[in-house]
Amino acid sequence: MLIIRRLAAVSAGLLAAAVLASAPASAQKPGGTLVQITQPEPPNLAPYISTSGPIGQVTAKVFDGLLEYGFDLKPVPSLAESFEVTPDGKTITFKLRQNAKFHDGKPFTSADVRFTFMDVLKKVHPRGIATFRELTAVETPDPYTAIFKLEKAAPYMLMAFSGYESPVLPQHVYGSGDIKTHANANIPVGTGPFRFVEWRRGEFVRLDKNKDYWRAGLPYLDRIVVRFIGDSSTRTAALEKGEAHVAGFGAIPYNDVKKLAALPSVEVTTKGYEMVSPIVELLLNTKHAPLDNQKVRQALAYAIDRQFVIDNVWFGYGKPAAGPISSNFAPSGMFEAGKDYNAADRVARANALLDEAGFPKKADGFRFELVHDLTPYGEEWQRFGEAVQQQLAQVGVKVTLRYEDVAKWLKRVYTDYDYDISSNFLYNLADPVLGVHRSFHSDRIRPGTVFVNGARWSSPETDKIMDQATVEPDPAKRGALYRELIKQTSEASPVIYVLELQFPTLVNKQFKNVITSPLGIYGNYATAYRE
Amino acid sequence: MMKSFSQRFLHNPLVIVGLSWLTLVLLVAVLADVLAPANPFAIVGKPFLPPAGDFLLGTDSLGRDVLGGLIHGARTTLLIAVLSTLAAVAFGALVGAVAGYYGRWIDDVLMRLTEFFQTIPSFLFALVLIAILSPSAMNLVIAIATVSWPPIARVVRGEVLSVKSREFVRAAIVAGQRDSAILISQVLPNTLSPLIVTGSLLVATAILVESALSFLGLGAPNQMSWGFMIGAGRSFMREAWWLVTVPGIVILLTVLSINLVGEGLNDALNPRLADA
Repeated sequence: MLIIRRLAAVSAGLLAAAVLASAPASAQKPGGTLVQITQPEPPNLAPYISTSGPIGQVTAKVFDGLLEYGFDLKPVPSLAESFEVTPDGKTITFKLRQNAKFHDGKPFTSADVRFTFMDVLKKVHPRGIATFRELTAVETPDPYTAIFKLEKAAPYMLMAFSGYESPVLPQHVYGSGDIKTHANANIPVGTGPFRFVEWRRGEFVRLDKNKDYWRAGLPYLDRIVVRFIGDSSTRTAALEKGEAHVAGFGAIPYNDVKKLAALPSVEVTTKGYEMVSPIVELLLNTKHAPLDNQKVRQALAYAIDRQFVIDNVWFGYGKPAAGPISSNFAPSGMFEAGKDYNAADRVARANALLDEAGFPKKADGFRFELVHDLTPYGEEWQRFGEAVQQQLAQVGVKVTLRYEDVAKWLKRVYTDYDYDISSNFLYNLADPVLGVHRSFHSDRIRPGTVFVNGARWSSPETDKIMDQATVEPDPAKRGALYRELIKQTSEASPVIYVLELQFPTLVNKQFKNVITSPLGIYGNYATAYRE
Repeated sequence: MMKSFSQRFLHNPLVIVGLSWLTLVLLVAVLADVLAPANPFAIVGKPFLPPAGDFLLGTDSLGRDVLGGLIHGARTTLLIAVLSTLAAVAFGALVGAVAGYYGRWIDDVLMRLTEFFQTIPSFLFALVLIAILSPSAMNLVIAIATVSWPPIARVVRGEVLSVKSREFVRAAIVAGQRDSAILISQVLPNTLSPLIVTGSLLVATAILVESALSFLGLGAPNQMSWGFMIGAGRSFMREAWWLVTVPGIVILLTVLSINLVGEGLNDALNPRLADA
């Protein structure tokens, strides 16, 4: 059997680690406590069973994954020193690290890997159920080799091995008892750079340095304190005063970010969301007249002034979206700008398309009326709805806004399909199979399942492309398939892509190397240090 | 010597101040489309333009004219407040009159019901109703009316209790008038003065409730209102003071004026209290 060695990616990662290690020691002195603000407080500390955002912000420091990822979304080694994929994509062999220990002192072996993926993630992890669908067995010929056997090739699976997405659990701790109600759900035990010490509800989680971490000399920090502060202006004040050092994912309101960014002590970055890649979109009900008409859908896409929305609703934290796949995927060849709905003469084009489609302006200046169901997630969504309403009015489409609570809105859009337009933001996640297919594939038209194909777009051509891309192990061929998907879906326009949302992460400048991966504050902070 | 109602009412300088402001607001509300022909949600300029530039009261975070918003907001705010008050007064008066007139178990049932509504904090109750009904102008009227009728019912019941034993009511009974006719033609007219006073003050409360709901983002999404303007501007208090200050002052003045007029009405309708 021919084996492709993915050494290129792996050695790039090792090189990065070597560069880090050889940097002057004075710059990276050990010690210091980093205070991170996480909002809201996590419901539990069991990332293997819940993907609720705040959990990972804490537990990614406690659990390692088999791999981590660079900003270019290429894998770098972690608990696995290297991995090999067979050409048919059906076997992945991980060589495991021999010096890693769990926080209770027991060694990490391939049995823990088998347990984690076969008994936990594949069965109870909300995304793992789908990601590891093709995984049939994890073979453990020796304690430091884990061989993943797949039913079909699943190239996207390689994007899901981070400590955030697929935390490796100790079998001797989590292996006994019911995993869904495990006694250690709030006392996490992993191999990560920081070990769990205490969770004082409503206040903080304390994590202390793991002195036996398998990466010699790391971590630099003595302690991480994750604080939970319910009031947004208090969170802002804590960062302003230097009482807290890191916050991301919308924990600080956008207009406060601007104020904090002006301080000499705070740095703002939009990096660290490359494996999240949220895209703000307008979902069109493609089964409702007149939105069943492609020309009308294209006209609406032309009518949206993306830069206005970015500047005035999201305070500049975004860039115009060019299709269903985020430009963060450009390094892997899966991104290409779709149809250019941002063209200079877009309003004229929109009007022309609507005329062609047979909807002339009537005496009152309007062609037809639509109801826009606002995303009930807070004021920027309301502002977004109002901006869209005005922009569509310019091309003669009268929009009425409707605002309901989250449960009603989700039911209306994803169960009853009783809507014309709705706004939303969906994560591209680490691979289009995980984050993009759900919006278009006809097998994702599932009444009652939220954040899937609510537009009810269905076409045999696009389904075929996605089915091929799901099992295509060759990255170049996969990239070509996705570029074709972008072309076809942006032409059909069942969803209007408005902007790639960029979350600002604020870091106190005393601390360096905090945001070092596309997972941002879901990273493990092993190399973070205080100056 | 007792002065006439209009003399007592209109010679009160505070009433004149209140009435003048309310008349102005009412005129603006009626003439909104003439004074500010543009859609108040239209994006007309750059965002955050300060007052006294191209736009008299500046623009908001999306570049909408604040003055236009105030003018159209007057219409929404007044309409919702007046309609909800009328509904509350109609329902409250009916409940109070029936309870007071028939007494006994009917009174007990209706008053326990009223108390049930009174024990729920009215703003929180309105919030829950809007969350259930989903925000729209009609639902705001329903929610505000639902939380504000109990005081009316209690006031009317009290008055009816004292009026129903008077001779003219007994005479009407003896003359064979039907209960409904007695209630409408004999009893209710005599409860009018406290009803007017309570009702006028309710308008002020309704404006505050509507504004507070809009502030929390639960206002009617397609109607510009003063509370909506404050809600949309509250995040920018540091950068753009006028977004909350201007509509805030307008709400303050309007609610104050209604209270002044209400007090004036009370003094004029109950001269013994006023002269004492």
